[in-house]
Amino acid sequence: MFDWVRTVPILSWVCYLPLLGVVPLLFVRGNRAIRVWATGVMGADFLLSLPLWFAFNPSGALYQFRESHAWIDAIGARYEFGVDGIALLLILLTTLLGFLAALSSWSAIHEREREYYVFLLLLQTGMLGVFMAMDLFLFYVFWEVMLVPMYFLIGVWGGPRRLYAAIKFFLYTLAGSVLMLLGILALYFYNSSGILGWKGLGNKATFFIPQFHDIAAQIPAGLQFWVFLALFVGFAIKVPMVPFHTWLPDAHVEAPTAGSVILAGVLLKMGTYGFVRFSLPILPDATLRLLPWMAGLAIIGIIYGALVAMAQRDMKKLVAYSSVSHLGFVMLGLFALNQPGVTGGVLQMLNHGLSTGALFLLVGVIYERRHSRAIADYGGLATVMPRYATIFLIITMASIGLPALNGFIGEFTILVGAFSRAWWWGVAGAIGIVLGAAYMLWMYQRVFFGPQEHAANRNLSDLNRRELAYLVPIVLLCFWIGLYPKPFFRRLAQPVDHVVRILEQAQARAASPPAVMPAPPEPGGGR
Amino acid sequence: MPIPWTDFAALAPELVLAGAGLLLLLVGSMHRFESHRGLALTTEVALLFAAGLLWVVARRATMPQVILSGMFVIDRFAVFWKALVLIATAATVVLSRRFVEEAGYKPAEYYALLLLAASGMAFMVSGIHLLSIWISLELMSLSSYVLAGYFKRQRRSNEAAVKYFVLGALSSAILLFGISLIYGATGQLQLAAVAAAVPKAIHDQGTVLLLGWFLLAAGLFFKVSAVPFHVWTPDVYVGAPTPVTGFLATASKAAAFAILLRIFYQGFGQLIPAWQAVTAAIAALSMVWGNLAALTQENVKRMLAYSSIAHAGYILIGVLVVNEVGAWAVLFYLAAYVFMTIGAFGGVVLLERREYAGETYSDYAGLARRAPLVSACMVIFLLGLTGIPPTAGFVGKVYLFAGAVKAGWTWLAVIGVLTSAVSLYYYFGLVLNMYLKEAPESSFRPASARGIVTLLAVFALITVVLGVLPGPLVDLARHSLLPLP
Repeated sequence: MFDWVRTVPILSWVCYLPLLGVVPLLFVRGNRAIRVWATGVMGADFLLSLPLWFAFNPSGALYQFRESHAWIDAIGARYEFGVDGIALLLILLTTLLGFLAALSSWSAIHEREREYYVFLLLLQTGMLGVFMAMDLFLFYVFWEVMLVPMYFLIGVWGGPRRLYAAIKFFLYTLAGSVLMLLGILALYFYNSSGILGWKGLGNKATFFIPQFHDIAAQIPAGLQFWVFLALFVGFAIKVPMVPFHTWLPDAHVEAPTAGSVILAGVLLKMGTYGFVRFSLPILPDATLRLLPWMAGLAIIGIIYGALVAMAQRDMKKLVAYSSVSHLGFVMLGLFALNQPGVTGGVLQMLNHGLSTGALFLLVGVIYERRHSRAIADYGGLATVMPRYATIFLIITMASIGLPALNGFIGEFTILVGAFSRAWWWGVAGAIGIVLGAAYMLWMYQRVFFGPQEHAANRNLSDLNRRELAYLVPIVLLCFWIGLYPKPFFRRLAQPVDHVVRILEQAQARAASPPAVMPAPPEPGGGR
Repeated sequence: MPIPWTDFAALAPELVLAGAGLLLLLVGSMHRFESHRGLALTTEVALLFAAGLLWVVARRATMPQVILSGMFVIDRFAVFWKALVLIATAATVVLSRRFVEEAGYKPAEYYALLLLAASGMAFMVSGIHLLSIWISLELMSLSSYVLAGYFKRQRRSNEAAVKYFVLGALSSAILLFGISLIYGATGQLQLAAVAAAVPKAIHDQGTVLLLGWFLLAAGLFFKVSAVPFHVWTPDVYVGAPTPVTGFLATASKAAAFAILLRIFYQGFGQLIPAWQAVTAAIAALSMVWGNLAALTQENVKRMLAYSSIAHAGYILIGVLVVNEVGAWAVLFYLAAYVFMTIGAFGGVVLLERREYAGETYSDYAGLARRAPLVSACMVIFLLGLTGIPPTAGFVGKVYLFAGAVKAGWTWLAVIGVLTSAVSLYYYFGLVLNMYLKEAPESSFRPASARGIVTLLAVFALITVVLGVLPGPLVDLARHSLLPLP
């Protein structure tokens, strides 16, 4: 039924449809038409990406829907698109959240709407390209392209401190990504001609990512170490890992709702995606060497993010810090370096995108009605907004990992992986879960239960149809992953195996260093 | 030995430029011919004609052709830079039109000087004899000094001209002194002969030779405005009429880089370790100081001046790594830089009023609403200067840093990428004003100049296209390389 997908360059279509949609948007007249058109493009893009889910063969080739064209011959950069199970899930998450974000913006954005939707669509193309690119150079181009529309989304349509937040976001991420560029170049030259006294491998000059997976075992540990650090800065800022996280609360609090949704739902995943796609499989020896540091930072992130979230008075800030904690969880899973850990980490990327995206949408709903995000301004909302309270509750439960919802599956798998790596990793993760439950439930209690102390809250209207339309799909997905995660695990099995196998080989190498070369026989020996 | 006429034919583009310049001077002295339109058009036609001749010359320049008794060479390298100079000059003429008209001085002089400067540059990039190089450099410089002071009744323009002239004359003298020392040490002035004599000279007269090289290099570093030879740049860039500033920042800088490459590669290939160390220090200083100083500027022209200092630093990386990637990165990056920088100055030209109003960051507040197209173009130029894809500036910077990483100059690449990240702050300060701030009551409205807006749109398009599909220009640059020493 979905065979046609393999006959067209489906990935390019999904990636560039939002970009194509920008052109008519420049000529559409009337704010309503602009909204409808932009949302329609996003929706069409989501529908177009859906066949990927069905046509993807979990036991087929590692990378599917491949597209390969010459691009910059002089340096061997090529236009290479393709997805494995990991990228597939993130692409679908991106198209879904993009659509929902556009839908949620109808009532939130009232000025300069045309430009707003133009940037939203451009952002979508950039994000999709990041997950589809199989060429490091192409990947890097998309990675940076994405920053510009996000800068504008925060800077023009954000809150009172938006100018500061926008430039801070841009500077942080750019500073990280330029160092990443140097790491990429080092890998590139090592593969082809050698750098810095390391004699290269003499392969054809290329940025093709699977090529680097193949040579992982040949890259000397010293080079791996420096490249890992360079990539680490870029990815860790994006994740964000403590202590590189300080841009995140500012960006989240000031960004408009749709910006926050995409920021939390997709952009943060690019950091973790970078780790699982590049750092782990290309630099396995450095990964092993730096493992204690990575795990330490992840655990600090989990605990610190949770504690700071607990102290927040602003709902959006609370959700922002909860992201720091949850992404720490993802990192912990990835760096467990075993099948359950990495699988759980990737699945939790998806889960976090859904639940945190939904939380930002929910905060946006109440903010549009009351123009306040302070927890203290609310209380007793459950009686005036029952539907809102119900959905909020489900998402809260998903976020804290209640069984039957998606968060549970992800966190449980991560914990399995973490425990089998080191018992205290698991313990630290478990503490994080408890803290997570504490701050989320406490916020829920303060907002939805108790007496109604503010007159303004008495006449709040419940969710309307448009709002339900963008919240219910997320709720359904949360239940789906929570009740029947098998299709997701199936699609993740192969790429995760691929990564774990490379790491296991590296571990084996580290455990038994190559036998020392036998000394040359003495001339005229055996007298 | 009689000189064959074909030697002059090979220099036809330069001769056309110089001839047209002299013609304009002559015509300008007659009172009747003061039609701005006619003069600008004549200049463009002269440039176009020169470009056509260059095309013919280029098709025959498959092999380097040494002409005029070893004074000049026509090779692909020279042709590349000549073409770039012509493009930059033609764009400058478009930007100048309204400026010159409003200033109310004799317009013919302006265009004549522009053409003479361009011909000096075109001569210079062909020079392979230290004296022919020096004379071409002077032709370019003297014309530029006068251009910088073209607004004779404005003090800032006077100041710019005087500063530029005094410091420029000093640097020319230093350069000439360096040449004389080199001659003293090697007994040669032609680059190839100097190169051949260097191994012996370094043995016999090492100090004199190195000092000569250093003084010569200092004169060139002055022209590309690299730290610590940059002090003239901010004041001259601010004081000179904005189109002239754009011209100095692009054509002049590109030509200076071309001859710097030629002298370093073809004359002093034996001294690579020496000049690599010196140039690396200068590149690092330029990147750091240019970017840091630009952070605090209020005036956009001054910011662009410091940014041009920083860019000199980036490009010097490509010069000093002496590998193929670095070498064509210099060509690619300067081509991209010409488009982006002229574009950025074009935006300033549109907004600027007489008496230098409309030059500060705050004058750009809310520009996106009043002039969406111009603002969008400016964003693309600024993205390019920062080095963010999908622009030519990004591709160029990647090549420059790739050359550095490959040659083991990783620390320079690290400084380069970090300072590029810093530069985002001041470039996007402008974007912030244009898009994120509301316009004040008495806001500047950009002049409606269709020619300039078209130019900006075309250059912005080129910047993006070269960012997405850099292949053709990369190939051109790779075919225009000097042989590595």
